[in-house]
Amino acid sequence: MTDAAVDFGRNALDVEAVRADFPILSRDVYGKPLVFLDSGASAQKPRQVLDAITRFYEQDYANVHRGAHYLSGVATDAYEGTRDTVAAFLNAPSREEIVFTRNVTEAINLVANSFGGLLAEGDEVVISEMEHHANIVPWQLLRERRGIVLKIAPVTDEGVLDLDAFERLLTGRTKLVSITHCSNVLGTVVPARRVAEIAKARGIRVMFDGAQAVVHGPVDVQDIGCDFYAFTGHKLYGPTGIGVLWARAEILEAMPPWQGGGDMIDTVTFEKTTFAAPPQRFEAGTPPIAQAVGLGAAIDYVGGLGQERIAAHEAALRDHAMDELGRIEGVRLIGTAPDKAAIVSFVLDGVHSLDVATILDRQGVAVRVGHHCAEPLMARMGVNSTVRASMAVYNTHAEIEALAAGIRKAKDILG
Amino acid sequence: MADLERYNDYAEALEMLDDDMRFEYLLDLAKKNKDKPFPSEAMDDAHLMHGCMSKVWITHEERDGRHYFQGVSDAAIVNGLVTMMTDSFSGLTREELAEITLDHVRRLNLGALTTQRQVGMMAMLKHLQKLAGARPMPAQGAA
Repeated sequence: MTDAAVDFGRNALDVEAVRADFPILSRDVYGKPLVFLDSGASAQKPRQVLDAITRFYEQDYANVHRGAHYLSGVATDAYEGTRDTVAAFLNAPSREEIVFTRNVTEAINLVANSFGGLLAEGDEVVISEMEHHANIVPWQLLRERRGIVLKIAPVTDEGVLDLDAFERLLTGRTKLVSITHCSNVLGTVVPARRVAEIAKARGIRVMFDGAQAVVHGPVDVQDIGCDFYAFTGHKLYGPTGIGVLWARAEILEAMPPWQGGGDMIDTVTFEKTTFAAPPQRFEAGTPPIAQAVGLGAAIDYVGGLGQERIAAHEAALRDHAMDELGRIEGVRLIGTAPDKAAIVSFVLDGVHSLDVATILDRQGVAVRVGHHCAEPLMARMGVNSTVRASMAVYNTHAEIEALAAGIRKAKDILG
Repeated sequence: MADLERYNDYAEALEMLDDDMRFEYLLDLAKKNKDKPFPSEAMDDAHLMHGCMSKVWITHEERDGRHYFQGVSDAAIVNGLVTMMTDSFSGLTREELAEITLDHVRRLNLGALTTQRQVGMMAMLKHLQKLAGARPMPAQGAA
């Protein structure tokens, strides 16, 4: 299959034009063209994002908030402007519900520490078997601090969240459901609206880890009906060091601060400190200002291409990859959920995943190997590690073929 | 001065090869190592080297003041690296092992295979030194 053969209609994404926006894609590795299939770990950055950050540092940079000078005002406008951009991106009811964090890990830790501090011994938090460690460990730490009970919703052999089993886990003591919106290993897209509906019917708060999900399609937090949603900038073609926690205003209002410092206070005396209203209450210290500018540019970039068009392009890549890899004898695909993002994990019979990835690397094909920060999921799927190819807006069908050819080569050399 | 004959053989062989050929050389080493018996009872937690993306087991034996290692990995390329490291530095005294440094690892020119490998090999060297007591851990102070 070639790109030309994939016809999405007149609105199809022009992949070559997209690729031209990403300077790094024109470099080679080991004298071979770079085939970058590790965007699930971190995506490459388009010129538009790089330029926005450079321009900001060159022209508009100063610390934000409370600076009684011109540049501080410009920088504050840029930083706060991204809060508006993010609110629109998630269809959040209010910009005040957008808290900037370092990444999803920090967003979840914020919820576990602040909202989690409101939980009592014996209260329950439900996660799933396919969580990233970022959505496991903060709850285990909370369990140690507060004596909460952590419950694990199972996934099927295909890697689908077992909704019936999930529902059976919910009790009168369940206070929070925190589940990935899209598995970073399996690509499984969780039916977020249904999960929220089940939990909300029992008055349980719901959070989604959207690190992978926001990249692969539009997310509307009001439509989903959840209470918390977290995503990170660097997987969405933005810079590292900036993530987002969205939460309903009334929940944020009730949450105590987690980290203390500048920018998050109302008044400070040695006797007593009062805290700022959300979102500032949760943004202690100088925030990631330029990173916020970069994130805003990244969201604008994705919006300019059209999230639906990106999703259609990635769906075609996913189908192509599943088909190509599925035809290689000895390849076992891990994660075959019907609703699946462009993330394809596999193992090759008799060959260690690290060796497969190393041979692919020598062909210029960048993939990720290991447990992908999801060791319990590895155990559930009966593997120690997988090779993961994760696709993005700039990948082509020729690159999927390069991946398949690399796997065949690995099989020849090592099989 | 340590007799690093085996190590020098590897370093000289690798020096003559380009990156692709170095890679094949490692795979050849791995295949040869696969044919050598590694005691299955030593493939346990006690002999596991922690912190690797693949599993690496290394045995250690001291005979007449000299230290001998044997290693194996469940990943082929790492198997090649383990073979090279254990073979290179077997037969040395504790003092001689303590003198082996990052420069020795660098001279093998395997950094081009990815820097992660070089880091892995350095970790392997430290592991061998630790097994032989060549770099004793700082004494645990009493409270």
